[in-house]
Amino acid sequence: MNDNYHIFSDGRVERHNDTVRLVTDDDEKKYLPIENAEALFLHGQIDFNTRVISFLDDHGVAMHVFGWNDYYSGSIMPERGQTSGQTVVEQVRAYDDEAHRGKIAREIVDGSIHNMRANVTYYDNRDYDLDSTLDALDRRREEIQSAESVEEAMGVEASARRAYYGIFDQILPEGFVFGGRKYNPPNNKVNSLISFGNSLVYANIVSAIRATALDPTISYLHEPGERRYSLALDLADLFKPVLTDRVVFRLVNRGQLSDDDFDSEMNACLLTETGRETFSKEFEQTLDRTIEHPRLNRKVSYQYLLRVEAYKLKKHLLTGEPYESFERWW
Amino acid sequence: MSGHADERTGETDPVNLLLESARDEAVESPFHVTGVMMQYYEVCKRELWFESRDVEIDRENPNVVRGTHVDETAYDEKRRNLSIDGRIAPDLLDDGRVVEVKPSSTLVEPARLQLLYYLWYLDRVVGVEKEGVLAHPTERKRESVELTDENEQQVEDAIRGIYDVVRSDTPPPAKEKPFCESCAYHDFCWSC
Repeated sequence: MNDNYHIFSDGRVERHNDTVRLVTDDDEKKYLPIENAEALFLHGQIDFNTRVISFLDDHGVAMHVFGWNDYYSGSIMPERGQTSGQTVVEQVRAYDDEAHRGKIAREIVDGSIHNMRANVTYYDNRDYDLDSTLDALDRRREEIQSAESVEEAMGVEASARRAYYGIFDQILPEGFVFGGRKYNPPNNKVNSLISFGNSLVYANIVSAIRATALDPTISYLHEPGERRYSLALDLADLFKPVLTDRVVFRLVNRGQLSDDDFDSEMNACLLTETGRETFSKEFEQTLDRTIEHPRLNRKVSYQYLLRVEAYKLKKHLLTGEPYESFERWW
Repeated sequence: MSGHADERTGETDPVNLLLESARDEAVESPFHVTGVMMQYYEVCKRELWFESRDVEIDRENPNVVRGTHVDETAYDEKRRNLSIDGRIAPDLLDDGRVVEVKPSSTLVEPARLQLLYYLWYLDRVVGVEKEGVLAHPTERKRESVELTDENEQQVEDAIRGIYDVVRSDTPPPAKEKPFCESCAYHDFCWSC
């Protein structure tokens, strides 16, 4: 099991004997079984010292830190990561070769559109008439094949996502008005949920990339790493519909989130601590879902699919065997 | 496999390349053969290619964990690891024999080839003749291994074969084998 642990309260994370424990500000002690952990997600104000970092390092556990506005702000990764000069060289070579870069970028957009379309189809089969969106996505998918530059590919991706986001207001119940994607900061409840979900996808992909020797800053669809792990942005696009969006639909349609779970001030709308807790619980359950993988011949978790995606890209770069981006097959 | 060297007109035979750089520090050669490469050559040439490109193995893989455990715990008191030029690292028993410990005898040929390579290397580079023993502690089985003219040839052919695989720009294509599922490269190899 590769479990993620989310910490929402304020306090201190420390090594205690051979475990990690959380001591909250009101002096409550909680032990985290990190033997099976993939990463700790720190959402509150947390103190920690070098002892706990060494301990997590020994166990190969990453720590992802989130800022006040739910945004990913950085990671403390285990030292025993993978390094391979050869991998990075091939990664850069592919980036520098316009045709090669374009091909990978188009493949990522193609997979992203497929995965958006899978969500639309799901709701189209459930009393909603979403034919026009399906048509629009199909046209974008045709367009992507002939996109000549990476900018053009980015443009196709953006207009596909716009068409796709257009169905949200149809699917989501009253009280959850979306009106298009806004972030920095999110302006309403739906946008705050998408922002939070996408940052969780992103952090999980940072961990997955780290399991390979790929350099997280060298990317193909997005421009390479200005302050961000742009390769994680590339791969996150593929998984947002499967992870973030489905969790948003599920929680909102089941009425699991109320106005109390959001904090609105100025133009920003952010999840409260309990809101984030509810969201990440459902998100983690989604990551733990398993699906029969046709090539690996066994059931794998959604979370492991992120790792597989990093493997696929790395294998493509090293061997020249074709890269086919993740497309939801179930 | 004989006549292999003749096909390489104008090029140094990989066996000589390896020997020259092993015997003389001044000879720089990017071509090294480790014991594990010998094993992989026999088991799966794609695995060998991945290994040569620093593709990470999945250390959480149960078979990797098991192999490491057997290797770390078996015959602990009676054997010591010997690193030679940082290129090969055979284990020696008290009686001076080279031992190769394997968790099971299912992949016995690859382990035998690895052991033979150690014996060959010790003989050709270091100048000591050693006997070997192949041990499967979990099955309480041991088997003596000696370097003969015939298996010397097998080692040298493997060195040439490894050279070809490692020098190739692309790995051999994936091919389903009975032991694929237990391979530490399985998910990397079959992800697509």
